[in-house]
Order: sequence, then structure tokens, then C-alpha cells
Amino acid sequence: MSFAAELRNVTKNFDGITALDGVNLKIQAGEIMALLGPNGSGKTTLLKILAFIEKPSKGEVHFLGEKVTEKNFENMRMESTMVFQKTILFSTTVYNNVAYGLGMRKTSKNRIDEEVSKVLRLVKLDGFEKRNAKKLSGGEQQRVALARALTLNTKLLLLDEPTANLDPKTASIVEEVIATTNRELKTTIVMATHNMFQAKNLPHRIALIKDGKIGEVGPPTETFRNLSKTLASFAALENTFNGTAKVTENGITSVDIGNGLQIETTLQQSGTVSVFVSPEDIILSKNRFDSSARNIYKGKIIEISDLGSLVRLKVDVGKPFAVQITKRSFNEMALNLNTEVFLTFKASSVQII
Amino acid sequence: MLMWTKVIIIAAAVTVLIIAASLAYFRYFTKTRLLVSTTTSLYETGLLNATERAFEAKYSIDLGFLPVGTGQAIQQAQGGNVDALLVHSPSNETQFLQEGDGVCRKIIAYNFFTIVGPRSDPAGINGMDAMGAFKKIVDYGRNHTGRMWVSRGDSSGTHTKEKSLWAKAGYSYTQISMESWYASAGSGMSATLNMANEFGSYTLSDIGTYLKLSKDGTISLVAFITETKELLNVYSVIAVNQTRHPNVNFTNAITFIKFLISDECQQLIDNYGKSEYGQSLFRSAVQLLMQNSTSQIVQWIKDYAFINGTECPSEYRDNRYPELYN
Amino acid sequence: MEILDGLIKALQLIFSGDPRILEITLRSLFVSGSATVIAALWGIPIATILGLKNFRGRFLVKTIFNSLIGIPTVALGFFLFLIFSREKGPLGFLGLLYTPTAIIIGEAILVAPIIVSLAASAIEAVDPEIANLAKTLGASEAQASFAVLREALDGIFLAGIASFNRAIGELGVAVFVGGFIAGVTELLTTGIKLEIDSNNIDVAIALAIILLTLVFGINLALNLIQRRKK
Repeated sequence: MSFAAELRNVTKNFDGITALDGVNLKIQAGEIMALLGPNGSGKTTLLKILAFIEKPSKGEVHFLGEKVTEKNFENMRMESTMVFQKTILFSTTVYNNVAYGLGMRKTSKNRIDEEVSKVLRLVKLDGFEKRNAKKLSGGEQQRVALARALTLNTKLLLLDEPTANLDPKTASIVEEVIATTNRELKTTIVMATHNMFQAKNLPHRIALIKDGKIGEVGPPTETFRNLSKTLASFAALENTFNGTAKVTENGITSVDIGNGLQIETTLQQSGTVSVFVSPEDIILSKNRFDSSARNIYKGKIIEISDLGSLVRLKVDVGKPFAVQITKRSFNEMALNLNTEVFLTFKASSVQII
Repeated sequence: MLMWTKVIIIAAAVTVLIIAASLAYFRYFTKTRLLVSTTTSLYETGLLNATERAFEAKYSIDLGFLPVGTGQAIQQAQGGNVDALLVHSPSNETQFLQEGDGVCRKIIAYNFFTIVGPRSDPAGINGMDAMGAFKKIVDYGRNHTGRMWVSRGDSSGTHTKEKSLWAKAGYSYTQISMESWYASAGSGMSATLNMANEFGSYTLSDIGTYLKLSKDGTISLVAFITETKELLNVYSVIAVNQTRHPNVNFTNAITFIKFLISDECQQLIDNYGKSEYGQSLFRSAVQLLMQNSTSQIVQWIKDYAFINGTECPSEYRDNRYPELYN
Repeated sequence: MEILDGLIKALQLIFSGDPRILEITLRSLFVSGSATVIAALWGIPIATILGLKNFRGRFLVKTIFNSLIGIPTVALGFFLFLIFSREKGPLGFLGLLYTPTAIIIGEAILVAPIIVSLAASAIEAVDPEIANLAKTLGASEAQASFAVLREALDGIFLAGIASFNRAIGELGVAVFVGGFIAGVTELLTTGIKLEIDSNNIDVAIALAIILLTLVFGINLALNLIQRRKK
């Protein structure tokens, strides 16, 4: 197997901050690699170096078998492209945005027309060519950015939190597109993510990154098994926590995840474990209500993200939990930062990873 | 940095293009040029516009006037920025010739200054001569509040005349101009007249500008004293000396002078304003001086505006054009 | 009454297509337009560097340009007059004094700081990641800079308009380096001054109306274009 890209002892400094520290990473051609790590761990910097829009302060980068130097730096960009975490669009039509990179490669107008409509169909934005890109919804904008990158058919595709601000429907379109692109075009993909399902199901390998250093690298199942603790302590994944499990009566296991929180799960395990609750399985309410659910916690809203028809919230009940509710419910409940709310979820929703 | 090189080249190229094109258009399409610096009073009456039209109808020279006031006009000539000088300040003109900057002076026209003031004539100058009027104005001003006199206050020919009149009347100009009844406009003649009109004060004006503003109804001042020896106003033209300032348009300047002293132009001067204002604003001087009669006005002009007994001493004449002086 | 009278006569002059007024207007447009173009050609590249690159002394350079915006036109005009003076000035030999060309140069210098300052601000306001975005889609440094410029186009356009307004409405430079030689270097502004001095109120008012209409009209047209784009 050949390497699409390789970072050898790469260090990157900005204004006295070390973003990457002696990173060694080999990316195999045709694989999907997920980068997992907390905010500020250097994920974005690493992706930018692979996109050739940042140069390492020390160390070497190799791409498609060649060493990257001052001379070929700009040329390398033609075979590597990145989709940023915060969507950036040019102030023009969807067509012009998507066609920009093709124009840089001196593609004929007819060919551009073809490719643009093809890729827009792929991301399910057919007929959007003439629309003003900046006037689209968040999900549509992100898809335009993705289409813009995909149409270039580069050897390397870099994605920074590709579904972080998307509603589930759009997120699944995007995940589908990522998988298809890799499968059919054999594009090598490196993506940074916080999402549990993505980390488990999409990539061939996962690389853990913290404080600018790469930790474990390996296939998801292995990594998760060996490093569930690390993953949780990294806060690398949402709603993932480390704790000590103790089996109690009636087939319930209680997991102490710290700060006085005891999560109840139906799974049987004891000792050090990592638990995960999907945001979709959590019910948010303003008042405590009676139910069969065994996990009820009180907390304050510490973050609000508007995803269009859905709103994603982070609630601190001692540890931060990500929850999703409809916009309508959000407005009806008149929620705000610091509003006190209750989180309820069944013991059977808790997974041990 | 290759891109920046391209940018600089484009910017420089277009800049040069625009500048060269505008200069070329200016130089090529306008025929040969003649620039004359002159006084504002000549310009404001509109006489120069009429003269320009007549001149350009006859010669294919683009005549331009720079109306900046006598002091400035002389400075421009000294700097070689203009080709000829058309002013009304014999003392300054003499100095100009003596310093070697000008040649071929010709007196072309004359009129009078006038002391104007409010209809009510608070200082009672009506019927007096110039000197008497000045004394009365000073007395009145010193004994009443408010402004009694507005001066041009710039280095114009009118201002120079005013200063010489104060001196003649026995006052120290520096002292008088500081007194509270004395106001300084620092502007052209129209503005000064307007100011005097506003304040109800007296001022010294050339007859041309006064008549124009009076007819237009802009001011209601009355011309009390005029046509006396002290108030004589003589206009002369001088070409800038080519030897000292090689870049000037000397031949065209001479053509201009010849035109000014020609019968056609002298008649134009005499007739200017007659129909509009009921009297001419300027009187021609060339014929008058040539005939050399013993009339009073010729005597006055000689006393006031001649240098060493002639309008242009021989050392300041150009020997190639003896026809200018008969 | 005199003002009203003058106003009526002025409108008559304008609508009858009086050739002198037409000539003055066209010359003003040409001179100030050329000045703005030249200032933009040099100013926009400078603004791009100021807006995009972070170099030592950047703050100082920006401050200098900002303060140059308010330069009194008489000071600049007089200074240029000394330079272009035919015999004593270092550039006198070019024979530029009292030509429209000199006014073009003077006004270009006058408005250049405006373009640099406003354009630099517009460029700075563009999301810094745009340059990175362009690069990751295959752009070179140069092309990426162009992408940023295109995003800042509205602001740059405004800079151009502000400059044109300043140029066409200024008096100091035109007076000192252009003189106000009728038929040759007379502009709307110097024309107004000259006609007021000569007490031709109607012509002065006519020129003033045209000047104000031009400035207002151009601004209006541009605001409409901007609104339609949004």
C-alpha cells in the first residue's frame, strides 16, 4: 500500500504557541482517516498543512511520493483540498462558488457546466446553480462548500468537522457523499470529527491527537476498545464519559462518571468503562416529570446552536451533555442560556464503548 | 513577487498614458499659447473676456488670463510662469523693469479710481478733493464706533494706490490700518465693495467694478469723488524678458502688445460698457500719448505713470521692435 | 430676490446648453475622473498589501495614510505650485504649470490616501479565511489576493466614489496649479469662485447646481446599484 501523504516530525509554531509538536503520521492511499481530539489539539492545523495552505515550522511533508518543497508547494495544492469547519463562501452564485476551483485549473466552460451540475446532484442541491450562495440555509451552504471541493476530484480531501453544525438529515447526506466519494473515486480522506457514529462507522483508521501530539493510530474497533478511556478523557467525542461501573440489583449497572453523576445502564459491566448516550435519546424538559426512565439530571444550558429546524444544546449537569430538540419546542419552552432544565434518558439508551 | 511587478508596470503605464494624453491634447489641440497674468479688477469687469475674443478671432493663439491680483501677477512674471503682465501699478512696474524681468512696456488705457460711500455720507466728503475726503473719513472714524473704511487689503494695484493716498494725506499707513474703524477685506474688488455696502463704509474702487456692481443693483454706494489727479488709474502691459526667462512665449507676447495698442483694440476699450453702463469703463491711452498734447490728462498720466520721462526707458525696450514706440 | 433671480437664470443657462458651462463641466469630469483612476491604480495595490499582509510598521503606514486624508488642499496645491514653477521648481521643466494635467496629478495625490485608507479597511473586513479558501481550491498567492479583492469590491467601489467626490469638489489644488484660466483650466469649483468674484451670480449658481447635482447623482446611482445587488 502506498502512502498518499506523510508527515515526518512536523512541528508548527504560531506566535509562540506550538500547535503541532513532532507529528509523525502516514496516511494510506484510498483510506478514510478520522482525527479525534479536543478543541485546540491541533486538528485544524494538521489539516491545513496537508492542504498546503500552511507550511510546517520544522519537519518534512511528503505527498504522493514527493517531498514538498518551496518550489512545488503551490502545485501540490492542485491535488489536495480542504473543507473548513466554518463554511466560507464567495459572495456570488452557487455556480460560481462551485466552479471556482475548476476555473483555476483552466477547465473549458462546457466541462465546468457538466461537472457543476453533476456534483450539485450528488449533494442533493440540483437546480441551485443561480442562487445567491450566501442566502442559503446553513445546511445548504455546507453542502455547497463540500460540492466545491468534491468537484475538483483531488487525490486528497480534508474535512474539518464536516457535519458539526448540520441537522441529522443533511448530516447523513454528507456522510453518504463522503463514503461514496471514497469508495468510487478512491479519494483519500482525512476528517476531523467529534461525532461518535462517524468515528465508529466511516473511517478505516482513527488517529488520536492531543496538545499537538499524535497518540494512538489504528482501526476504529481496536482503538475504541483499547482507548475508550482516553477517548472519553479527551472529550474527543460528544456525550462520552469515563467512569467506574458497579453492578447493582435488578440488572442495572451504575457508572460513576464524576461530579456526583451516576449513570444507570442496562448493560452488565464492572470496572473502568466509557459510556456514551446518543443526543437523540435524551429528552429535555423544564420540569421534572415522572417516567420509567432511570436517568434524570438537572442542569443549565451552556451552549445553543441553531441548525435550522433543529436546535442543538449543551447542558451542564455536572458534565456537559449534547441534546437535540426541534426549533418549535425550543421556542415554546422559551429556552435561553443558563435556563435550568432537566435531562431524562432510559438506562437502555446508555452504551458502553 | 512577479505579480507585484506586473501591477506596478500596469499602474505606471496607465498613469503615464493619461498624463501624456492629456498633455498632448492640451498642447496639440490648443494652438500656441499665451499666458498673461493680470489684475482682478480688469478681469471682473469682463473687459479681458472681450479682448480675448477679439484677439483670438484675429490670431490663432490661445490667449489665457491669470487673474490673480497685481502683486501676485508680478510674482508670476518674475518666476517666468507667464508670458506677459497687464497691471495698473506704475511703482511696482518700474521695479519690475529695473530688476530686468520685463521689456517693452506700453501704457494702453486709463480710468479713475473713485472714493465711494453710503448715500447718507456720514463723514461729509461730498464735494471735497481726495485728500480732504480722506482727512474727513479719518476724523469721523476716530470719533464714532463702527467701521468707516474697507480696504482691499491684498497686494493689488488698488491697494497700492490706496496706500500711496494715505501717505500723501499725511498718515502712517501702518498706524491707520490698525485703528478700529479701518477694516481690511483681503479680497477682490467685488467682495470689498459688497463689504463696504454691508457696513455702510467708504472704500476706494476702480470705476469699472463700481459701475458694474452698481448697475446690477448689488450695491447702493455712491461715487463721491473721482476724476482727480490723485485718483488716476493707468493700465500697462509688459512682456516678460526673454533673455532672463528663455522659456516664455516672447513673440506671442509682442503680438499681444501690438494688438492692445492697435486701433481696433483701443476702440474696443473705449466702447466697452458704454451701452450697458451709460459710460465707458476704460479710456484708451495710446492715441492720446502719441499726439502728446498739452491737455491736462496727458500731463497727469506723464506725472503718474511715466518712468524717467517715457512710458518705457530705452534700456527696457527690445531693439527688434522699434515700431512699438514712435 | 437676487438669489431667486440668479437661480432662475442659472437654470436657463443649464438647460439652454450654454457652451461655456458645458465645457467647464466636461473638463471637471475628465480631470477629476482621471485623477481618481490614477489614484486607484496606485492606491488599490497599496491597500491590498496593507489589508492582507502583516508587516512591521504596518500600523504606522496606515496611520500616515489616514492622516493624509485630511490634508488641506491649499497646502498641497501651494506645495505642488512650487514644484511645478517653471523656472525655480524642480519639475518646472515639464511645463506642467497651469495645465489641466497638473490638476490631474495634484488631485490624484490628494485623493490617493482616501482610496488607500478606505480600500484597506474594506479588504481587512473580508474574512481572512477567504484567501486560504481560494488557495485550497488551487489559487496561487496572486489569485488568492484577487479573490479577497473581489469580496471587498463594494468597499473599494465606495472608496473610488468618495475619492471622485473629493477631487471634483476641491478648490485649493485647482487654484494653485491650474490657475483658473478661462477656457483652459477652469473647473466647476474654480469657476464658481471666479464668477462670484466677477459678480456673475447666475453663472456661479449654475455651476454650483451642476456640481451638487453631479455629486449627489453619482452617489444616488451607486447606492441604488448596491441595493439591487443585495
